[in-house]
Amino acid sequence: MGTVIDRIGELLSLLQSPDFYEREEAVRELGTYNEDEAVAGLVMAMEDPDLGIRELAANLLTQMQGDIASRLLIRFLGHGDIGTRNLAAEILVKIGSDAVGPLIEDLDNDDYDIRKFIVDVLGLIKDPRAIEPLCEKLWDENENVACSAAEALGEIGSNKAVKALIVAIERVEDARVQAVEALGKIGDPSTLETLYGMLDTDDPMTLYAALEAIGQIGQKVSVPKLLPFLDSKDDCIGETALMAIVNISLANDGALDHDLPLDKYSDFLFNGIRNRNRKLTEFTLGRLNHWNGSDVIGSLLDVVDSVDEENHKRISEILEQAGALATKLILQKLPAASTAAKLIFLETLQQSVDEEMARKLLPFAVDQEPEVRQKTAQVLGVSGWSGAVGALKELAADAVGHVRATAYASLGWLVAENEIGFLFKGLDDKYSDVRDAALGALIVVGSPRVVEMFSADLNCDNIERQRLAVSALGKIGDPEVVEPLLNAINHPDASVRKLAIIALGRIQQVENVQPLILSLSDESTAVRKAAASALIAIRGEQAVADIRFLLDDEDVWVRYHAINTIGELGSERYAEYILPYLDDEQDVIKIAATKALAQMGSTEAIPRLNQLRQDKNKDLAEAVVMAVSDLEEIQ
Amino acid sequence: MEMSMRERDGVAIVDLNGRLDLSSGTALKERVKSLFEQEKMSIHLNLSQVEFINSSGLGSLVSIMKETRLRKGRLTLSDLASYVQEIFDITQLTNIFEIFPTEKEALSSYQPVATN
Repeated sequence: MGTVIDRIGELLSLLQSPDFYEREEAVRELGTYNEDEAVAGLVMAMEDPDLGIRELAANLLTQMQGDIASRLLIRFLGHGDIGTRNLAAEILVKIGSDAVGPLIEDLDNDDYDIRKFIVDVLGLIKDPRAIEPLCEKLWDENENVACSAAEALGEIGSNKAVKALIVAIERVEDARVQAVEALGKIGDPSTLETLYGMLDTDDPMTLYAALEAIGQIGQKVSVPKLLPFLDSKDDCIGETALMAIVNISLANDGALDHDLPLDKYSDFLFNGIRNRNRKLTEFTLGRLNHWNGSDVIGSLLDVVDSVDEENHKRISEILEQAGALATKLILQKLPAASTAAKLIFLETLQQSVDEEMARKLLPFAVDQEPEVRQKTAQVLGVSGWSGAVGALKELAADAVGHVRATAYASLGWLVAENEIGFLFKGLDDKYSDVRDAALGALIVVGSPRVVEMFSADLNCDNIERQRLAVSALGKIGDPEVVEPLLNAINHPDASVRKLAIIALGRIQQVENVQPLILSLSDESTAVRKAAASALIAIRGEQAVADIRFLLDDEDVWVRYHAINTIGELGSERYAEYILPYLDDEQDVIKIAATKALAQMGSTEAIPRLNQLRQDKNKDLAEAVVMAVSDLEEIQ
Repeated sequence: MEMSMRERDGVAIVDLNGRLDLSSGTALKERVKSLFEQEKMSIHLNLSQVEFINSSGLGSLVSIMKETRLRKGRLTLSDLASYVQEIFDITQLTNIFEIFPTEKEALSSYQPVATN
């Protein structure tokens, strides 16, 4: 039996096999050993002709980490093949802090390309141990290495590098721009004086870097230093300065105490929104509360479809605040707007739509996009303009269900009393949202004619329609529905009877309660329970005498409901009705009686309740403890 | 139905207590009309104590909403009880009224957006 080293030796040989699968298997197995030879084998495999095997070796090396892997990988940073070199750098970054020691040790490598890559990798690992060695590399004889060192120090972002970077700005011309950029990334306000000093430079690249860095540091005190650059004849300088101010503004929750020549930068700002630049979008929308002339609102309308949903809402609010000016411009731009923009514009118009505006929106009721037709239907409904009924009826016959649904709802909002027959047709639509909308519209209209038609539906041959009719009558809730609901108590379907009784209980203004009293003996337990509740809702304590017999109903849940209902009246005078149920056979009834007696404030019940404290049914015992506690407080 | 009036930060608040039906809806319309006559164009209705609303009550609210729009005012509602909320949902009136969960949220929506 061979040793592990022997096996690794065999695997290393297999890495030279012409067979892809043999090489892949060898790499995979090498990844299971911790020996240095196995690590070396994986590093060798990074030169495999097959990309898949190279990547497999790289992944395994990343998982192994460790000193040896790092040392071997560093050699690849000088590899002739750029892909292999980048792969090695990538693995070193993934290895992270374990690679920092070997990388720092090799920072003085004779090959300046390797030095540069090491510096880059250290910057990406962001380990503070690299700060001091990287500061020394700011003075590397090779300018690329020095520039990369400044960039790496910026990536690490520690103010321990500030002093060295400031010296480098003064003395290392080649790395000046990168050093200035690094100060911006570090964000230490103590460097601002140095950066202000750079604003006098003749070198445009250094100037851009200084402006950006000042912005990144984000101190409001810097704004006066930046303002003069907004007047620059060079657009790039002006825009860079404005971007710096944008960063400062956002770093201070949008607060800024200076007037800015925003009109001059209108294109820059709105192009920023158009290009989905998050910072420029946030800044620009934030300024629009008080920067809202005709041109500005016009520009805003041109970029509405470039922002996310959250900003759609903000834009709608801004346009709403802009009032008549925005409305006028929206109406001008609406016909040529994209679908997304049309929806935002219509949403905005909805806030202030009136008859005159609604007339102008009628053409959009035939827009080719269903979302636009749907939104138009909604806005027409909100307008309250009865002249929109014709267009809404057309939309209620639209091919798209959502459009029909909104059109029906809008007809309801317009309280289109002359269209009751039309609204009833909506109840037969194949889509439930359309049927629901038509039902809602009929409830809003709720005229005697609607009540009459729903009352007739109670006797139609479709049980679903009968249930819908009784539910609708209940929701209409006007005095006219009481009679048909009382009639519905005799309906053959128990759910119709129950819905009618619940509705009557809610309406309360019911003079003839006899049908309700009769339904206390209904064959359906649900109906009997509903009747008990409805009678109490309508007659209060007067109904106790009527419903009392349900305390002995054959159905336990009816008894339970009757106890609860009487208990909810909170009147001690009915305690004598409830007390016997503390001795019921069913625990659920005992619990209901316990709670009801507590609600009634029946202190007489305390002795009997105390006997139940130790009941083996935990729920009952807990209910008793709570009830007694409540009752003792009354005592 | 009982109605009581308050005012906060320029918003006239009407507290409603009871059932919103034909007679109370008519009274509410009259009350809001008198607010308009006093140039009060920001009106908030607190419905926390309204447990029942029928078709006539809805009609009154829709009518008040139309009148408010006509006068370029603003109407908000808050604290809808579960049954009233259900009726607003069924009729989709939630799409045309500005409804807030609480009075506090409704009133803060009247405050101008802070500017920088």
